Amino acid sequence: MADGRFEVVGIRQETQGAPLRKGKWPEGKPVLSALVLGFIILGCLGCDFFAAKDPAYLDLGNCNVAPNGEFLFGTDTMGRDIFSMVWYGGRVSLAVGFMATLVSTAAAVVYGTVSGSAPAWADALLMRAAEILLSVPGLLVILLIQAALGGGNVFSISFAVGITGWMGIAKVVRTQVRQLRGCEYVVASKCMGGGFFHILRRHLAPNFVSSIMYMVVMNVRNAIIAESTLSFMGLGLPVEVVSWGSMLSLAERALLTESWWMILIPGFFLVVTLLCVSTLGNYLRGKGKA
Amino acid sequence: MRYIKRLFYFVLSIFLLSAVVFYVSRLAPGDPLVSYYGDRVEKMSPGEREWAEDRLGLHDPVSVQYFRWLEKAFHGDFGISYKYKTDAADVIGGRIGNTLLLGGLGFLLVFGLALLLGVFCACREDRPADRVICRVGVVTGCIPEFWLALVLILIFAVHLKWLPGSGAYTVGGEAGAADRIRHLILPLAVVVISHLWYYAYMVRNMLLDEMGKDYVLLAKAKGLKGGSVLFGHCLRNMFPSYLGMMAISVPHILGGTYIVEVVFSYPGLGTLAYESARYKDYNLLMLLCMLSGIVVMVCNIAAQAVNGRIDPRTGM
Repeated sequence: MADGRFEVVGIRQETQGAPLRKGKWPEGKPVLSALVLGFIILGCLGCDFFAAKDPAYLDLGNCNVAPNGEFLFGTDTMGRDIFSMVWYGGRVSLAVGFMATLVSTAAAVVYGTVSGSAPAWADALLMRAAEILLSVPGLLVILLIQAALGGGNVFSISFAVGITGWMGIAKVVRTQVRQLRGCEYVVASKCMGGGFFHILRRHLAPNFVSSIMYMVVMNVRNAIIAESTLSFMGLGLPVEVVSWGSMLSLAERALLTESWWMILIPGFFLVVTLLCVSTLGNYLRGKGKA
Repeated sequence: MRYIKRLFYFVLSIFLLSAVVFYVSRLAPGDPLVSYYGDRVEKMSPGEREWAEDRLGLHDPVSVQYFRWLEKAFHGDFGISYKYKTDAADVIGGRIGNTLLLGGLGFLLVFGLALLLGVFCACREDRPADRVICRVGVVTGCIPEFWLALVLILIFAVHLKWLPGSGAYTVGGEAGAADRIRHLILPLAVVVISHLWYYAYMVRNMLLDEMGKDYVLLAKAKGLKGGSVLFGHCLRNMFPSYLGMMAISVPHILGGTYIVEVVFSYPGLGTLAYESARYKDYNLLMLLCMLSGIVVMVCNIAAQAVNGRIDPRTGM
């Protein structure tokens, strides 16, 4: 319909209300969030150019220094420069967020499609299984998997977080596929010998991508939260691998000395990033519905 | 028939859950002997090690261990906690009250306040108060629990020294009710703040949906006041989905409580799960996962049952 070859006839749809204002500022679009998020991502990617200090260097003469001219954000209890750590750590946190989402989305799409195109009994069974997995508090499962993988690196934690976060998306995909699988073009493609992944890529995915987009973006958010929580508790990334969460794992010691910069600064970056991501996600949800 | 089917699924789910948790936890590297014997493990001779492993039944294949565990579990024996050297069930029994207190109070507060806030926002839709609350709410929803807890400890416990920052009661002091409450305020605040908006926003949107329906127009046309339509009709129609939401939210709030407990070193199930994951205390971790899973499943079933009672249309 978008190409204008077809047209809905019948009662004319009238739009009520004032015509949309065409101002300079794009109404309703999360420009600010996109800009801030872009700034943070660029800063994290390009931190080699402006963060002069090595985030792993232990400057033992300057432990626990409050923010000043030399150490913009101060140093932590091990003498590392927090300004560099925030940017380098952001790389790790964002990478975990994206990789975990990749894992969970891939798992969800395949699982949902298999379940959606399977006969009714298999479908019921698969969805039951997903519901059971959904019912266990995610963090406990991540703990278990993380322990089983002998974790401590970026990939294992991405996998552990990703593999626990696919159930919600899989349910949506399955519902969509169940509606789509009877469509003529899907049946036609199947008759012509189209394989599972071919149909998924060419016919199914373009149809359900808009309805899962919001959940996928929210998954990035949840993955970043999960990583930082785990690392904070000392069960995720070790202190040597700098991420926003592992920076905060020194918080216990920071509390004793009331070193607020060690807690507030990495946390501020974390919260701002999460806020931007979820604003973008909410925007996508509004668009997906329309 | 429907109930039998549901019961069957429930039992099957629990079996599946226990099997998955059991296998995954046994695959984990790490030495359970360390949590049982502590540092003495390093001084053991190979013979003593052998004997100790044999005594704890760690030599058999995992599936044998699983069925042995299952058999004992049916007799109410969930094995001993390697760290605490007593029955895992006893260890949990000593802590569960604290978690129930924190989680239960948090749950009630979250849902009570969410309803109030949601109704308030729905009544003031798009007016300044609603907009401000929406903005603030989105921000609070994005703050990870552990960080919120840290910041509150930093402000109220370390800087202002108003409230205690850890534990459930003062060590060595008399454990009066006032003392408990003082220790509960901060953890409870974190649980409530981090979950409140999510549910308040849902209430707000469900109410707004409901208020846009035709029957509201009719009721208003017949001369009913806005307030009585809202409370007599809209809230009532919304209630089944609200109850359902409450039941589904149990894992969220439970998980949140666990994290909060760890940060505040509050002696509940969360800290216990954290310790047992760190020290490979299999039996304890297993029982904790099972317990959490069962609570959640029971809540899901309860949600369906309650919904079916209140609103026959949603029956399975």
